[in-house]
Amino acid sequence: MQIQVKCSCGAGDCPEWAIVELQGVVEAHPSVGNQIQNLEIGRLCCTSQLSRLSLILQANYTFTVGYHELSGTKMTLKKPLLVLRKRKEKALDGAPPPKTELEVIGIIRHRILFKSRPKALISKPQTKEKRTG
Amino acid sequence: MEAATASGEDCWEGAAGTLLSMSPGSSLSVVYHSLFGSHDDLLLLEVDEHLLPEMLDQRVTIRGQPDEDAVLCTASATYALKFVGTSNTVCLVPPGNPSSKNQQSRCNSNGGPDSPAAAPQTAVSVLKVASGNMELVQVAPRLDKLKSLLRKRPYRLEEDEDAEDMEDGVKYSSGLYRWDDLVNMIQASDEELMAGLRSLSAVEINGYWRVVSERSMDDMLRMLLNNSMIQGWKISELKEDEVVPVLVADGFPHTIVLHCLGTFGLKKEGNLGDCVWELDEKRVCLHFAKQALSGGKMKLGNFMEKWISGLPHGMQGDLEMLQGEVLYETLGVETWVHAFSVSDLPSTPADRFAALFQERPKWAWKDLQAYVRDLRVPGLSSEALLIKYTRRTQPTADAEPIFSAR
Repeated sequence: MQIQVKCSCGAGDCPEWAIVELQGVVEAHPSVGNQIQNLEIGRLCCTSQLSRLSLILQANYTFTVGYHELSGTKMTLKKPLLVLRKRKEKALDGAPPPKTELEVIGIIRHRILFKSRPKALISKPQTKEKRTG
Repeated sequence: MEAATASGEDCWEGAAGTLLSMSPGSSLSVVYHSLFGSHDDLLLLEVDEHLLPEMLDQRVTIRGQPDEDAVLCTASATYALKFVGTSNTVCLVPPGNPSSKNQQSRCNSNGGPDSPAAAPQTAVSVLKVASGNMELVQVAPRLDKLKSLLRKRPYRLEEDEDAEDMEDGVKYSSGLYRWDDLVNMIQASDEELMAGLRSLSAVEINGYWRVVSERSMDDMLRMLLNNSMIQGWKISELKEDEVVPVLVADGFPHTIVLHCLGTFGLKKEGNLGDCVWELDEKRVCLHFAKQALSGGKMKLGNFMEKWISGLPHGMQGDLEMLQGEVLYETLGVETWVHAFSVSDLPSTPADRFAALFQERPKWAWKDLQAYVRDLRVPGLSSEALLIKYTRRTQPTADAEPIFSAR
């Protein structure tokens, strides 16, 4: 079996996706239930662009999730990640088994990584979410 | 999330661009996308920068049967696909515009301490949390299956006559493989598959890739040599235009005549710009040695006599030519020789060494060398292969090292 990896975006024009990565797991407050679509995870602030010493443009970020504040940086991935989408062709009656196709739909070159342990914020208004782990 | 999976990625506006181009002092809201879900059809594949052009130019395929681990093939190389999991929360943010609907929603916990109050209420959306990504590891092509597929039904000269009696083409093609069939069945890149076919001396006959039976190759070669004698052709200078029509007139198929010339000879350009073949002494001698040994093991003296006397006039046999093709063993005062061809052995290192140590438990380097030099594993040197699969003993510093199974 052979699956061709397709790409309709063309070499120079692949839509760029992004990653926000943090340690542990984000959990919604139990009151939210399973319907977390459209729910706010947190607020992201870009604080500064530093590291002129090492001549690397480094953007620093804070991410406030519930009672916790995370600090992180924007990093360029050593190797890019391609976003692939698997598609199964609809099988018609009596037709051979459906063919699977893979399509490159995007590329990820950067992530904003929060790798330190979260700092607790003491005086915060009531929020819908909290972070554990 | 059926609805979300069914919808196109056009609806996945996530504003990755906004996220990546944030200026110092700005802030935005990160929300779960309205279509957030497991999106099992989305995969992340880590790709070396040098492979990107091929990936984006649609020159890459995934190959494998349902019961095999899938591999990714570029035009020239084969890669295993490995899933690397992560315990981090990896939020995927698709491209597109920030959704206005998300902007006003749930912003009551507005901002961290640094965010200016007047900042626009922008939101970026997380479509999926990825549990890890796929990585590519270059591997050797898996060609052993090719050998076993093609050897199931080698081409025989007689079968063209059989085929005339056979009415239905269905029967003719059973157990035969076209290029497209092989590409679907063999986990190798196109270039590696072609190289594998060449190293098996396969030939495309009526659209199917076949190996030609030893017997038919032997008939063909003998006929070529006989004709050379009768017609006075020089075997170092066989003119294609002259040789091929004579053999075709003798009833040999055109493809097979050319295949025979290609297998035993080297192509060069003649004085008149025509195509001239020079029979290769080593290849021809090797063929006759195999024929001589086809009945089983022989005393070295008897073998040499049979071999040398069967060689075409002007060709010199030398035991050096038989490296990787025959093995010698000493029984009492006699040396015996038998056929043991590297081309019949598995091509993966573990299986190759298992087959070698099954043949004999201890190998001297001079014998072993010819049976391992073709092993190629990306990222492993041949020394590393020996260390991994053999135990090396050397009684004294100047003694020949002996290799045994680990």
